[in-house]
Amino acid sequence: MSKEMSLVVRTADQTRRAELSLDPASTGADIIQAAVDNWALPGDTDYTLVNATTGRAVTPGESLSKAVRPGDVLEVQPVLVAG
Amino acid sequence: MRTDRYRRHEQIDWFSQDAVRSARIVVVGAGAIGNEVVKNLALLGVGAVDLYDFDQVEQHNLTRSVFLRESDIGEGKATAVVRRAAEVDPGVRLRAFEGDFWDHLSVWRLAEYDCAIGAVDNIEARIRLNQMCLLAGTNFVNAAIDSRHAVIESFAHGDAWGGACYECHLPESAYGRMAERYSCGGLRRRAHASQQVPTTAVTASVAGALAASTALRLGATGEERSASRRVLIDTIAGGSTVTLLDRNADCAACQGMLEQPVVVRTRNRWALAPEMSEAGQALGQVLRLSDPLLTGYECAQCGALPEAARYLDRRAAEFDDSITTCPRCATSAIRIEVRQRFELGELVERFGSRPVPAKFALADIGGRTVCFDFEEG
Repeated sequence: MSKEMSLVVRTADQTRRAELSLDPASTGADIIQAAVDNWALPGDTDYTLVNATTGRAVTPGESLSKAVRPGDVLEVQPVLVAG
Repeated sequence: MRTDRYRRHEQIDWFSQDAVRSARIVVVGAGAIGNEVVKNLALLGVGAVDLYDFDQVEQHNLTRSVFLRESDIGEGKATAVVRRAAEVDPGVRLRAFEGDFWDHLSVWRLAEYDCAIGAVDNIEARIRLNQMCLLAGTNFVNAAIDSRHAVIESFAHGDAWGGACYECHLPESAYGRMAERYSCGGLRRRAHASQQVPTTAVTASVAGALAASTALRLGATGEERSASRRVLIDTIAGGSTVTLLDRNADCAACQGMLEQPVVVRTRNRWALAPEMSEAGQALGQVLRLSDPLLTGYECAQCGALPEAARYLDRRAAEFDDSITTCPRCATSAIRIEVRQRFELGELVERFGSRPVPAKFALADIGGRTVCFDFEEG
């Protein structure tokens, strides 16, 4: 059992923000799904995850242990489609 | 007189009017963002802009599209936008293409542009344009909006091939949503209603301005020029996030493309020339077509149907799922086969002197992706 990692997750408009302890084996897709479920984000939108501290995107299959360090801020951004 | 037009630009130490004047940009989508992109490119004095859109002007477009007027309703968007944009700077060469870029813009022609700007209104078209830019080695700028945010993503497929592409960071859910539009692996679903995303002129103008600037690499140095990156702007709170996008080894689009693909412009005819009669080994070469084809159509109860001749060897996307109802027994017992991968020999046998209804075919030859780009006609 790996030690949990403390970090901040927020939405792009910063209306939602939470300090969390997460399993480092969690993936980018897991974080997005948890944010959509817990914050009731619009279900007709797709989301992507960004490490706002490092300025790098986290791919859906990437684990937190590879993409994130304790204390980093993760941002859930909408995938925009309209032109 | 022309020098006077650009006098303010020439006072900017990082602005090269000559570089802007020599740029050739293709804009796909003449909606809200497309209007703003073309406006900015024309004001900046860009060399050439080609604009693609298959849509007609509707009244609801008029609240977000700077070049469109009431009198344009019913006219092709690209034509209407180009006509007004030409008034901005007669020195800019503007061309309108009425139709789907997928049908009218070939990979080799895309390679002649300095940048393609995606201002379309759905993910599928963005994926297709990204794929074409990857193959052509053309810089790609993806611009999109909602009612609050504007996003600009830059992929330097031309300046620094090998970075992340548009699909590298697309979530699985986006593919799932796209798949909902099709059944049987390629037929359009009749019941599917396309999503209407509310937007405003505010987000469109922010996205359009930044897309034009990014496409022309105005003032850009280092990573701003060569890295794949995303800028997300919150037009209400005023904040922005700049994110570097790393290549994803599992990407659906660029996985396995370790080198820039080779593009071979070729006739779309499949009969073997006499001198190729000994090319038996090559006939086993697997080709992945740009478009899935309908290769099987029969009823599980009635068996083979004469109607199959109407559907077989055509693009699956030409048809909707109404054809899955058998015209004889009226049940949904039609078995459809849709394929995108074929051996060369099979295409020769199926099509001979007829064109394959596809835009291009991809092959892995000697570990490198080769794109056989079919000439029009």
